[in-house]
Amino acid sequence: MRRAALVILALGLLLAPTAAAAQTRRERLDNGLTVIVRENPVAPVVAVSLLVRMGTWWETPANNGISNFVHAVMVRGTTKRSGAELAEAIAALGGKISASGEVDYSEIRASALSRFWRELLGFTAELALTPKLAPGELDGERDWITGRIQKRRDNATSRAFDEFFAALYGPHPYSQQVLGTPESLRRVDHAALIGWYRRFYRPEQMTLAVSGQVSAGEVLAEARRLFGELPPGGQVTETARPAPANAGARRVIEQPAQQAQILAGGLAPSLDQPDHAAVKVLSTILGGGMAGRLFVELRDKRGLAYTAASYYDPVRDPGALILYLGTAPENATRAEEALRREIERIRTEAVGDEELRRAKGYLLGRYTMDRRTNERLAWYDAFYENEGVGQDYPDRYRKAVEAVTAADALRVAKQYLEKVTTVVLRPR
Amino acid sequence: MRRRRAPAAAILALLWLAGCASTGGSRTVALAKPTREVLGNGVVLIVQEHRASDVVALQLWMRMGGRDEAANELGLAHYIEHMLFKGTPTRPPGSIDTMIEGFGGASNAFTSYDTTHYDFVVPVEHLRAGVELLADLATHASFPPDEIDNEKKVVFEEMNLIEDDPEKFLLRRLYEVSYTPHPYGRPLLGQREFIQQLTRPALVDFYRKHFVPKDMVLVVVGAVDPARVRPIVDATFGRIAPATPPPRATPPVPTLDRSRRVDVSRAEQQAYLGLAWKTAPTGSEDIYAVDLLTYILGDSPSSRLNQVVREQLRLVANIDAGYGAFQQAGLVTVTARLESGNLDRAEAAILDVIRRVRTEGVTEAERRRAVITAESSYAFDIETAEGLAKTYGQAETTWTLENELAYLTRLRGITAEQIQAVARKYFGDDNYARVRFVPAGATR
Repeated sequence: MRRAALVILALGLLLAPTAAAAQTRRERLDNGLTVIVRENPVAPVVAVSLLVRMGTWWETPANNGISNFVHAVMVRGTTKRSGAELAEAIAALGGKISASGEVDYSEIRASALSRFWRELLGFTAELALTPKLAPGELDGERDWITGRIQKRRDNATSRAFDEFFAALYGPHPYSQQVLGTPESLRRVDHAALIGWYRRFYRPEQMTLAVSGQVSAGEVLAEARRLFGELPPGGQVTETARPAPANAGARRVIEQPAQQAQILAGGLAPSLDQPDHAAVKVLSTILGGGMAGRLFVELRDKRGLAYTAASYYDPVRDPGALILYLGTAPENATRAEEALRREIERIRTEAVGDEELRRAKGYLLGRYTMDRRTNERLAWYDAFYENEGVGQDYPDRYRKAVEAVTAADALRVAKQYLEKVTTVVLRPR
Repeated sequence: MRRRRAPAAAILALLWLAGCASTGGSRTVALAKPTREVLGNGVVLIVQEHRASDVVALQLWMRMGGRDEAANELGLAHYIEHMLFKGTPTRPPGSIDTMIEGFGGASNAFTSYDTTHYDFVVPVEHLRAGVELLADLATHASFPPDEIDNEKKVVFEEMNLIEDDPEKFLLRRLYEVSYTPHPYGRPLLGQREFIQQLTRPALVDFYRKHFVPKDMVLVVVGAVDPARVRPIVDATFGRIAPATPPPRATPPVPTLDRSRRVDVSRAEQQAYLGLAWKTAPTGSEDIYAVDLLTYILGDSPSSRLNQVVREQLRLVANIDAGYGAFQQAGLVTVTARLESGNLDRAEAAILDVIRRVRTEGVTEAERRRAVITAESSYAFDIETAEGLAKTYGQAETTWTLENELAYLTRLRGITAEQIQAVARKYFGDDNYARVRFVPAGATR
């Protein structure tokens, strides 16, 4: 395979879209819940994404991981049926359903053959509004998540990313892991779990997006019937979070692995800030694709890394621009030096026209490609609504990317890569 | 066929032949059937219009893979996959990626045992440039000496990466333990010592020998008028000089028994268990029933292994079944992540689940769910042009396009009795291979 498997990050990847700005209809129900339906006739399938403003952003070290924990217990059954019955019912639709906590939101996602859209929407509502959250399920799910935390720690790449977020964000909640820690999960009891669910599962906090071979009118009517009865609960009061404290430090950790991991980066704009598009372009020049600088200079020309990429995911608070190398231990020192030179170069020399054009083409091309399946489209529609940037965001984003100049790229490189946090994981 | 959790060979060309045919829904968008033509020199061209978005998927599938390597060529099919993108006499190193990415397109390539394939997705206005590029790579790769050396480090790291991923490495080892000495048991990336000494003449020889038009399948799926495609292909792939492909060997596939059991000490805190049964190859009539059985055993949260071993007995953190069907053999694998103290009990529980299928069969509801799962898996594959192109390329190179198009219809006709029959035919208490990853220092 030419490209290394994509790392599963703590923050969901947002690549690229636009395209099929097809027919979407949006409606805010009387209780405050937002519904967005996209008619997409491409294939006989349907996807549902229900986002709730509830995630790591709201958590503290004392209850870190509780949002995801709620969702793990949630899929164990509803007041009407057990988890096994639910799994069987969903499988009979050729479908799947899952739920998890993320950084800025939590999500219930479901998909099935489109001829079963009504049943699928029904199960989604049942899970979201009448989960059983039985006390007897907590221990088993806590053990299961603890196993996943262990797996993340055992994996060199995910461990390195987790350490990087902790170092970069300091007191800000993005420093925490979505899964939490074994210690924080042990502190979450049944009462805390129920309390967390009730605090956030209010219609004003929720966005339901549906995409597929469906009729928008029919889906909206069914959504009103299923979700309209939920009483309003008011917005959750939100206080500002402590500002991230990027100390620009370098941390070295060791663990058993074949590959060394090198991460370097800084704080970056949030999704709705004017510099977002310019930093996306900057990230692409450095680590987007196989013509990105890190890939060309470090992998193709010098064979100093196998994986050479950059990540910059959109989030509501400051984002993280991360340059990432996965390399053989004997190359690690030289790879890190080469990475520093690339950072220095992008901060001092303006990028050429051809390279800028390639980066924009790649960035927007990926965005388009990522906005083709119904699962992704439903997620994008719900995500943009949840982040409060509006359904015209894809168009605005595209235009903003096209307008980025070489001077913009240089300016944001100077600004956002001035203080660089580094994490190196060395095989032991 | 729809394969989940394909064999993992290192480089893992996902083995998902896919199913096609009608989807049974009342609102199905009428999907045109692909056209299949054979050019004068033997290149097969498969084209289908797919207007989901303004892109076109271009995939070159070679009827050649890791199994075609001689003992002194191990890892070459994969190495060539890397080297093709390094350029041709008219395309210097780096220019291919710059061009495709500048289009807003994407490229990738995969090596498996029976096939290798080279994939591009580009905006449809670049159809001609994309086909020209693929034909150029297939005939004029230049293998620059500096690039050959540099790429060695990249391949070594790819080896490391697979070894670091316990799930991938488990499947890799399971294939090795199940198939050795058959070529399906080889690591597709080759051995470090051999790659280290790899020379340009060896690469060029292998490339010349195998990149012949009769072994090429070009699949074009996207927002294109099929009539526009043929002239472009005639002017490129059509001009490749005919040549005779090397013969393909068909070494015997070993039978599995208790001698094929390996324990590996690993750094992870958790243990991994992998079991494998030898089942039907792609050409067999049994593939339909084996496919459904695999879904019923371990495809989803409602599957038997999940319900019994994970949910009721709580012996594993996760468990999956997969069916990797190749031209010469098929393997059904069951893999799980668990605490090392549960290894023996989990294995016994898996065997018990399978034993019950043999003695009691499966229910009609399970059979129906499995068919719908296959239908759904196909429906999700065809959302993208490249997804559909892959099903066609895989079918043409390892099965037949015709079988692929009739696949779902055939699957619907399989009875619960036929599923029980393949369980009895292939799955015994002893005839499986086993690999366990045990945490270093763990006592069991």
